[in-house]
Amino acid sequence: MTLSVSGLSTERSGRIILHPTSLSIEPSARIGLVGPSGSGKSTLGHALIDDLHRQGRIVAHVPQSPDEALDPLRTMRFHWHEAEAALGLPHDAPRQQQLFSALGIAHGDLRKRPWGWSRGMQQRFVIAMALIGSPELIVLDEPTSALDPVVAADSMDLLDRFLSGRQTAMILITHDLALAAQRVSQLMVMDNGCLVEQASTSALLNTPKTKAAKALSAHRNWMPHPC
Amino acid sequence: MIRSILSLLLRALVVVSGASIVTFILLWNAPGDPALAIAMARYHQVVSADVLDQVRNEVGLDAGFWSAFKAWIGPLLAGDFGKSTVTDREVWPELVTAMSYTFPLAMLALVCGMCVALPLAILATKHPGSVLDRAAIGMASLGAAIPPYWLGLLLILLFAVYLDWLPAMGALSTTHMVLPALTLGLGVTASLTRIIRSGILDAREQAFLPAFRRRCVLSRNIGRDHIAPHATIPVITVFGLELAFLLEGLVMVEVIFGRPGLGSFLVNAIEARDFPKVQAVVLLTALVFVVINLIIDVIYQVIDPRIGEHDA
Repeated sequence: MTLSVSGLSTERSGRIILHPTSLSIEPSARIGLVGPSGSGKSTLGHALIDDLHRQGRIVAHVPQSPDEALDPLRTMRFHWHEAEAALGLPHDAPRQQQLFSALGIAHGDLRKRPWGWSRGMQQRFVIAMALIGSPELIVLDEPTSALDPVVAADSMDLLDRFLSGRQTAMILITHDLALAAQRVSQLMVMDNGCLVEQASTSALLNTPKTKAAKALSAHRNWMPHPC
Repeated sequence: MIRSILSLLLRALVVVSGASIVTFILLWNAPGDPALAIAMARYHQVVSADVLDQVRNEVGLDAGFWSAFKAWIGPLLAGDFGKSTVTDREVWPELVTAMSYTFPLAMLALVCGMCVALPLAILATKHPGSVLDRAAIGMASLGAAIPPYWLGLLLILLFAVYLDWLPAMGALSTTHMVLPALTLGLGVTASLTRIIRSGILDAREQAFLPAFRRRCVLSRNIGRDHIAPHATIPVITVFGLELAFLLEGLVMVEVIFGRPGLGSFLVNAIEARDFPKVQAVVLLTALVFVVINLIIDVIYQVIDPRIGEHDA
C-alpha cells in the first residue's frame, strides 16, 4: 500500500526549518533524500516517521550512528526484546536468527552491551532491529557516515539483499550523491527546508533542473566509492 | 576480575592504615601538653607536676614517639583497640555503645533524606522550570546553605522551647532522635534532591533517546529502563561523598543535642587527648568509608562496567 503524507512542516524556536511538504512512497521504492547539510533532510525524515506512526503504519528508523540508537548501559539482548515488545510482538527466536544471519551478525554475543561490539556490527544490529516488524518503510539517516567505507558498503549490500523482493520501501538520507546514485532509483533534493526537486536518479544526475540539484550534481564526488 | 578486586582491597588497606598512622602522628605532635589534658579529664582539677609525671609515665608519653607507636599498633594488629588513657576501661565496648546511638541516627537521616529527595526530584523534573521545580531547587539551596549547628539550635528553639513538642537533649527514647535526624536530614535531602534532579535532566538529554521513542518504546519504559540507570550513576557518586558530610554533621549534631554517640565520643576523646579512643574512631570511620566505596565500586560495575576499568 502506498504511504502518503501531506503538509508536513516543522518549526523550531519560531523559525521554519521544514516548509509544508507532501510525499507519497510506493511499496519497494528506493528513494534517496539528498541535499546540503542543514537543508532539512533529517527533519523531513523525522517528521515523516512521526506522521506515519500516527497513521498507524509500521515505519523503522536507523539513525546516523549506533550511539544514537543504542543505550550503552543495556545489553544487546535487552535492546532486541524491548524492540519486539514495543511493536507488540512476542519474542521470536527464528526471526531473530534470520535477521542476524541476513546482516552477518549471527556470531555476536547478545549478553554484551553495545560497546562490546564493533561499530559496524552495532550498526547492523540497529538495522536488524529496524526490520523486526517487517516495516512498510525503513528510513536510513546517513547510515554510512559514522562507519568506515568498507564496513558501510557491506552493511548496505546486506540490507539491499534482504530487502530485494520485499514490500519494504527505503529512504536513504545522505549528502553524498554518489552513494545515493548507487543505491536508489529515485532522488529527492532538499534545499533550505523545501523539497525542491524529485526525479529518477538518472534524470536528476543528467539533467538537474534546480540550482540545488545542479550544485549537488556538479560537486558530487565521483571518486571510486566502495559503497 | 580477581585482579581488580585485589587492587580494590589493597587500596582499602592503604586508606585505612594511612588514615590511622597520619592521625597518630598528628595527635602526637599536636600543641599543648597531652599529660595535662589527660590529668584534667581524670581528676577535673589542677594537678601537681608529680601527678603529671605519673600520667606521662603511665600513658607512655615519656618513652618517645616510636615506642608509643609500637605500643599502639602492636595490639591493634591483633584486633585490640586498647584501654582509655582517662578511665582505663576497654575502648571497644564503649565504641560499640557509641555506634549503637550514631548508626541508627545516620541511617534515619539518610533514609528520610532519600525518601523525600527522590519523589521531590522526580516531581520537579516532570516540568522543568515549573513552580514545583523552582521550589525544589530553592529548598535544595536553602538546605545546602544552612549549617547543621545553626539549624539544630533553631529546631530546638521552635520544637522544644516554644512548642514543647519534642525533647531537645539526650537519647532516652526514639522521640529524642527526631530533631537530630531532621537537622541532619535537611542537608542530606538538599544535596540528594539537587543531584537526582540534575541526574534525571542530564539522563534525559542522552542522544539515543529519540531513537527509542521512534522505535515506539513506551515513555514509561524509557524512563524506567534507560533514564533511571543513567541518572543513578551521579547519584551513587554523590551518595558516597554525602556520607562524609553526614559524619561531619553528626559530630556537631550529637554535641548540640547531647547524644552519647560517636561524635560526642570523639570530641570528648580529643579534648582529653585520649589517644586510643580517637584512634578507634578514626579507624572505624576510615573503615566505613572504605566499605561504602567498595560497595559503590561494585554497583558501578553492575550498572556500567566501563567506569574505572582502566584504573582499577
